[in-house]
Amino acid sequence: MTAPVLPETGPAAARPLWRDWIESPLFLKSTAGIVLLLLWEGTVRAFAPSYVARPSGIVRIFTTVIGDPQFLAAAGATLWAVAKGLLVSLVLGTLVGFAMGRINMMERGLRYYVNSLFATPMVAILPLVTLWFGYNADARFAIVVFAAFFSITINACDGARSVPLEYLEVANSFRARPFHTLFDIIFPASLPYLLAGVRLAAGRALVGAVVAEFFVSIPGLGYYILYNSRTFKHNEAFVAVIVLVAAGVSFEVLMNWLTRRYLPWSRRD
Amino acid sequence: MSAPTRGTRYITVIVSLLAGAAVWEVAGHLTTEAFWAPLSATLQSLAEFARGGVLLRQAENSFRLYLSGLALAIVTGAPVGMLLARVRWLRVALENYIMMLYATPMVALIPFILSMMGFGFAPKVLVVFLFAVFPVLYNTVEGARSIRPELIEVAHSFRSNEWRLWCDVLIPYTLPFMMTGVRQAIARGLVGMVAAEFFLSPSGLGQMIMMGSQNFDTAGMLAAILIIVLLGVGLMDLGRFLENRFAAWRGYNR
Repeated sequence: MTAPVLPETGPAAARPLWRDWIESPLFLKSTAGIVLLLLWEGTVRAFAPSYVARPSGIVRIFTTVIGDPQFLAAAGATLWAVAKGLLVSLVLGTLVGFAMGRINMMERGLRYYVNSLFATPMVAILPLVTLWFGYNADARFAIVVFAAFFSITINACDGARSVPLEYLEVANSFRARPFHTLFDIIFPASLPYLLAGVRLAAGRALVGAVVAEFFVSIPGLGYYILYNSRTFKHNEAFVAVIVLVAAGVSFEVLMNWLTRRYLPWSRRD
Repeated sequence: MSAPTRGTRYITVIVSLLAGAAVWEVAGHLTTEAFWAPLSATLQSLAEFARGGVLLRQAENSFRLYLSGLALAIVTGAPVGMLLARVRWLRVALENYIMMLYATPMVALIPFILSMMGFGFAPKVLVVFLFAVFPVLYNTVEGARSIRPELIEVAHSFRSNEWRLWCDVLIPYTLPFMMTGVRQAIARGLVGMVAAEFFLSPSGLGQMIMMGSQNFDTAGMLAAILIIVLLGVGLMDLGRFLENRFAAWRGYNR
């Protein structure tokens, strides 16, 4: 019987295997995760009062909180407000941004306002917004739109200006109608910019919704955090933070996937 | 589209600013006092704040908070990011967690900070720090990820020691990325500053806005908001200037 020649299984061959395993990203990342969680747990146990959130406490109450209808309603309210605000800002922001990008007059007239309102921390206008809309969900919606609108507008404007001139010239030569130029050339060409704007806007909108809930005290994840941390139930409150982070990260992942799937030419890295 | 001359460009901008001012003024007269104050009344209360010294005092409070938090964030974020640039396994281990913290809306942590640390200056600095540190860290690590291994290899081939390697390769290479982070940190830190002044112990410009809204002194509130808007614009320009100043170094990959 001619057995195949097996590689030597001495220490010389075994060691690289072991090293490979240690140096594999998955091992490094999960070890780091465990170490970070242990550090958190240890620090809180050693130095902080017992109500402070710690991993073991969060794990203990996680399923009850996630199953709590009140919590689900709060999460739904916040995320729905963010989604609605994003959608409204996307439509309005794209319109205004394209107008600014393609019409010089609009750009020169609005640039200062858009740029300065983009630079304004949205927290600062909270009292003004509550004055206008009252202490209710409308105020939260207004803040979300304020947070999201300007970053989308700025990006839509940049996108509309980045359309290669040749494309527009070709469209002109073929006597394309303005409507077609807008939807067949300007819109697809500025999609990568729009996506970048939406990505930025989503983060800001989430912050806006949470801040508005702190200030206005309407049901939502922000208020859930505020209420529970005031009554020293930090573990419960932290579950809401986890949901917020999960929402932010999954939106990011979704946008990445959309970009790769439908806009492969616009990958930035 | 014919290129507009310099003159017409300035004219449109000036006209638009004047139109904005006019709309502000007229809107103030058409609505009730509590809803919106005319520009003239806003400027009047701004002048009053300035004369009484309130403005200077509160702005100084805000600035101290902002600068402490921002400086702390840069001083920690940049070296740690550079360290991750050098030590590959540490970077691989931590980069996902840094990305996650970068995406975390830090405002959500304010209530925890409030109930653990109470009122005072330190918790507010912590808020500004948390808002500002992760953009610096995240962008520096992103820069580190794209550092070309050949650069380090060449440095090693020429027997450069660790110190020279940092000074001549790592720091110059990651600096432009770090500056993108600093620009983001400048903007986020300002949000953190106002949030801290609202939700922790009231102070500074945030307190001015709050007082205006509680006393139904809309003109006073708008004056304080106007200051913050101008501050935001100025800081954003500063951030962009810093970023562009170092962006030229990036060269090939931009």
